[in-house]
Amino acid sequence: MGIVRTQDLTFEYIRRDEEGNVEGITTAVDKVSLDIAQGEFIAILGHNGSGKSTLAKHINAILNPTEGTVWVDGMDTSDEERVWDIRRTAGMVFQNPDNQIIGQVVEEDVGFGPENMGVPTKEIWERVEESLKAVGMYEYRKHSPNKLSGGQKQRVSIAGVLAMHPKCIVLDEPTAMLDPKGRKEVIRAIRALNQVEEITVILITHYMEEIIHADKVFVMDSGRIVMDGTPREIFSQVEKLKSLRLDVPQATLLGYELQRRGVRLPSGLLTAEELADALGQSLGAE
Amino acid sequence: MLRDITLGQYYQTESVIHRLDPRVKLGGTLLYIVSLFVFGHFLGYAVAALFLAMVIRLSHVPFRFMVKGMKAILFLMLITVGFNLFLTPGEELVSLWKLSVTREGVRTAVNMAVRLVMLVIGSSVMTLTTTPNNLTDGMERMLGPLRVFRVPVHEVAMMMSIALRFIPILMEETDKIMKAQTARGADFEGGNIVQRAKALVPLLVPLFISAFRRANDLAMAMEARCYRGGEGRTKMKPLVYEGRDKIAYLCILLYLAAGIGAGYLGRFLGI
Repeated sequence: MGIVRTQDLTFEYIRRDEEGNVEGITTAVDKVSLDIAQGEFIAILGHNGSGKSTLAKHINAILNPTEGTVWVDGMDTSDEERVWDIRRTAGMVFQNPDNQIIGQVVEEDVGFGPENMGVPTKEIWERVEESLKAVGMYEYRKHSPNKLSGGQKQRVSIAGVLAMHPKCIVLDEPTAMLDPKGRKEVIRAIRALNQVEEITVILITHYMEEIIHADKVFVMDSGRIVMDGTPREIFSQVEKLKSLRLDVPQATLLGYELQRRGVRLPSGLLTAEELADALGQSLGAE
Repeated sequence: MLRDITLGQYYQTESVIHRLDPRVKLGGTLLYIVSLFVFGHFLGYAVAALFLAMVIRLSHVPFRFMVKGMKAILFLMLITVGFNLFLTPGEELVSLWKLSVTREGVRTAVNMAVRLVMLVIGSSVMTLTTTPNNLTDGMERMLGPLRVFRVPVHEVAMMMSIALRFIPILMEETDKIMKAQTARGADFEGGNIVQRAKALVPLLVPLFISAFRRANDLAMAMEARCYRGGEGRTKMKPLVYEGRDKIAYLCILLYLAAGIGAGYLGRFLGI
């Protein structure tokens, strides 16, 4: 069994009017079954309201399923006694960096998680140092978080989770509030975690360029998983993605349009380099 | 305009005073303030002033920063001095219309002024040399015993440090909302006090909403990082007394002894 597994996970929000009567029920996540293996880089894709953030919050036991079950490293997330074990196994990074940094100095913020876990002082310092080095923020350890850029703040948040030594990190749209430069910094840090530290990464996003390096992609729409596969498999279905109101990377789109107009190209090209190579070969053959 | 407000007044230097344990500084300041009201003799005040001057010298913080704190209480001080000067009964010195200045009045007025000045400068030394974070930590540890009486010491300290962290963020947000409202024709600067206060309502509503949203997000992020109150928590930077802290305590005791001794000496000599 994988590090994160869900079985028929369903979550319903109950809307109430001012008197507390039930006005309606919104099913945010609808019978989702996933199995994620240790060490994988998973991307979950979907436009706003597709239920991807709700799904993420289940992995950290912030939300409990209405129906179905979520297991994290074999622990059932609805088991109240294991909540803290689950949270230290599956760390979570949120969208707004300002609203998740607690410390007034970078290093103190990174130390917050280990402090809560009751790690001895000396080990906290070791963990803080290695986590900050892993995301490339060690030089900023004495700075105030208020003086950092968005990308730097988000890397501090990632270090904060990393210091808890999780087996899995869930990132809920960590780049949504960042500029392109910050986005690149954060994605580079996340990939390094996955490749160097071998931590399972579950990246939730609606930016297509960020999922190119994922091992597996799940596409969500109205609470359900509607597509899954490698990035290449997903991106070769341009029409379907468009019908789900999702954009495809520019290189993929250009390749697709050229293909439709009769240029012989393989489908699911991901990067500009791949497209250039394929075009070169195709033109050379003619 | 709002960005100019700096919170706390920490002044960074690498002095001994800065490196002292916050508990020493908190306790020392408290004792110092009490001592100002206990001494009650001008020789005692001389000792207090000398002690303060030495601490300021050691802290390497420019003196003008301490005086800044005085501006805030200038009005209070004028009133205190005025009342004491004119309304203390006793031997009359000068008489102006219905008010009269008495010998006793002059003495209490000068006493009060000296006390207030040293009190304010003394506490500025503490806030100038201690980061707000350190202060909160020190308070948490000093008030720790109150936990027995179910006072949520850790929670209060955590709230204080979160408030400190979010003040600059909320300031920036206020600035942003203000600009957005000004762009749509809101006027924050014109009119009388009532009109100005009214103009603040459309500013406060979005600010409060956003503060609540942030609080909700932050609570979730803290729980996700295993925060569950003060129990079972370890400290990354625990407060540990070092040699210099013990010396500092000794200095404070010596100062108290000297001050009290000076008072007795003064009375003995009859000055």
